Amino acid sequence: MMKTLHGGLRRLASLRLTLACLALAALIALAGDVGGWPTGTLIAVPFVILFVNLAAAIATHGALRTQAGLFGFHLALACLALLAAIDRLSGLSGHVEVTQGTAFDPTLVEARIGPLHPGSLERVRFVQGRFEIDYAPRLKRRETRSTVYVPDDTGNWHPVIVGDDTPLVVGDYRFYTSFNKGFAPLLSYIAADGTIHSGAVHLPSYPLNFFKQGNVWTIPGTGREVKLWLHVPEPVFVEDAPWRFRIPDDAVLVIMDGAQRYELRPGDTVPLGGGRLRYEELRTWMGYTIDYSPMIPWMLAAAATAALSLAWHAIGKLRRSDWDRATGAEERAHVR
Amino acid sequence: MFADGAWLPIALGLYFAAALSAVIAVWRGRSVSTAMTLLAIALACHTVAIALRWVRLGHGPYVDLFEVLSSNVWSLHLAVLIAALAFPRIRASLAAILPLLQILVIWLLTVPERDTLAPVTYDTVWLPIHVTLGKIFLGCTVVAVGLSIVILIRRHRPEAFSVLPRCRALDELAYRFVLIAFIFETLMLIAGAIWAQDAWGRYWAWDPLETWAFITWLAVAGYLHQRAVWKPSPVLNAILVVGIFTLAFSTFFGTPFISTAPHKGAI
Ligand code: HEM
Repeated sequence: MMKTLHGGLRRLASLRLTLACLALAALIALAGDVGGWPTGTLIAVPFVILFVNLAAAIATHGALRTQAGLFGFHLALACLALLAAIDRLSGLSGHVEVTQGTAFDPTLVEARIGPLHPGSLERVRFVQGRFEIDYAPRLKRRETRSTVYVPDDTGNWHPVIVGDDTPLVVGDYRFYTSFNKGFAPLLSYIAADGTIHSGAVHLPSYPLNFFKQGNVWTIPGTGREVKLWLHVPEPVFVEDAPWRFRIPDDAVLVIMDGAQRYELRPGDTVPLGGGRLRYEELRTWMGYTIDYSPMIPWMLAAAATAALSLAWHAIGKLRRSDWDRATGAEERAHVR
Repeated sequence: MFADGAWLPIALGLYFAAALSAVIAVWRGRSVSTAMTLLAIALACHTVAIALRWVRLGHGPYVDLFEVLSSNVWSLHLAVLIAALAFPRIRASLAAILPLLQILVIWLLTVPERDTLAPVTYDTVWLPIHVTLGKIFLGCTVVAVGLSIVILIRRHRPEAFSVLPRCRALDELAYRFVLIAFIFETLMLIAGAIWAQDAWGRYWAWDPLETWAFITWLAVAGYLHQRAVWKPSPVLNAILVVGIFTLAFSTFFGTPFISTAPHKGAI
C-alpha cells in the first residue's frame, strides 16, 4: 500500500510534468496578450497542477530534499502560489466615481469580487472634497491631490489627501485616484407633483474627452431622455504650458429636449417635461480605483524567502570553482 | 567640461574599438587586454554622460527608448567587463559577445536624444531598485550568451577560440550565470510588483510588460529544469540561452515602447 502511494507520488513529482506546466502557463500568458484570453483566471489550471507536482516532489525528490536552499525555494514558491490563490479568491479590485460634495456610495462600485470576499465595502464612509491636479506641458498629468473627509469614532470629519500613489486606506480597502475625473453639473428637478429630485450628471473624463463633454439624462418620473453637454468656450487646459485642473468660469450647460435647446448658467431654471429643471452649479467628480488584497504582506514574505533560499543555493554552487572541470578532461588553456 | 551629449559619442566609438580589438586579438591568438582597457575607458565616458544627464534632468535613465537603451548599453558592457575580470579564463569570449553588443550601439546612434519628464509614479525608491535588478539579470544573461556563442561557433569551426576551455565547461559556467540571472529576475519581478502596488494599487495586472516578463521567467525556469530532465548537449543549451536572452531583450525593449506604455500615466 505504502509502496503504491510512494510510486504514485513519484510519478506526480515528474520533472517532465513541471516542464509541460511551465510551457502551458507560458502559452496561456501569450494567449492573454495576443488573443485577449482571461489569463488571470486560466493560469490557475497550470498553477494548480504545478502545486501538486511540487508538493509530490518536495515529498519524494532526493535532489530537492537534500539541498536546503533548493528545498526552501520550492517550498516558498508553493506557499506563494497558495497565497496568490487565496488573495484572488478573497480580493476585490474595482473602480468608482464620487461627486464633489457627496458621500462615497458602495452601490456604484464596479468591481471584480472574489467568491470568498468578506464584503464590508458598505462600512466605508468618506465625502469627496475638492481636488487639484497639476499638468506639465503637452497634457502630461502630474500630481493629483484629492481631499476627502473621513469620519472618526466620535463623528468628527477629518481631511485626508489622496493621490495616484497615496491611497485612502479604510478597513483594508485602498482607494487611489485615477486618471478618470471630470465635471459634473448639479441639477435639481421639481416635478409637476412638487417632488424634488437632485443629482449630478457625470460628464466624460476631462481633458481626455474635452471634445465631447456630453451625456444623456432622464427626466425623473417621465422616462424621457434629454441630451445635455457642457460648452466650454475656452478649454481650461493649455497645450504647451503647465496648468492646473480647474472648473471653467464661463461654461454653459446646453440642454436639448427634442428640438428645443436651452442654455443654462448656474442658478438658471427652465421648464422641462411638465416640471422645472434648475442648474445649481458645476462640480467635479473623481474616479478611484479600489483594491483589497489581504494576502500581500504574506506573499511578499514568501517571495522574499524564495529568492533568498535560491540565492543561498546558488552561492553554494558558485563557490565551487569546478565549472571548468565539467568534462573531467584535461585543462586546455592558460590564462590570457 | 563637455555637456552630457558630447560624452556619449566618445563612449560609443570606444565600445566599437574595444569590440574590434577583441576580435583581432583572438583571431591572432593574442591577449584581449587592450580590448578590456578600451572597454573600461568607454564605460567611464558613458558613466559621465549618463550622470550629467541624470543631474540635468533630475531623473535616472528609465523614461524613453533613448535612456533605456543607453543605460542598457552601459550595463551590458559593464557586465561583460566584470565577468572578464572575475573569470580570467573566459576573457577571450569578449570577442564573441562584444560584436553582438555593437548592434545595440548602432541602434542607439539612430535613436533621437530628447529631454524627458519622468511620470509622477516614477518618484519612488522601488524604481531604481527594480531597474538595477533587471540590469543585473540581463547582465548575467549576456555573459552566458557570450559563452554560448563560442559553443555555437565551435560547432562549425571546432578549432575556434582555442584558448577557451571546452564546450562542456563553458556550458556549465553559462548555466551558473543563468542561475544567478534567474535570482535577479525573480527579485526584479518582486520589486516591480511592490512598485506597481505602490503606484497603481495592484501588484500584478497582466499588462503586456508584466505578461512578457512572466513568460521570460517561465522560460528561464524551463531551461533550468530541462537540464535535469534531458541532460542536453552544450549546443542545445547554448541555443536555449540565446533564445532566453532574445526573449528577455524583446520584453525589455519591445513591449514598453510598442504597446500603449503601461508604465506611464494616462492624462
Ligand atoms: C515555476 C516554478 C518553478 C521554478 C521557477 C523552479 C526553479 C528551479 C530552480 C531555479 C532550480 C535550481 C536549478 C539548479 O540549481 O540546478 C530548480 C531545481 C529543481 N526543481 Fe524547480 N522550479 C519550479 C517548479 C518546480 C516543480 C513544480 C517541481 C516539481 C517536480 C520542481 C522540481 C525541481 C527539482 C527536482 C530540481 C532539482 C533538479 C536537479 O536535480 O538538479 N521545480 N527549480
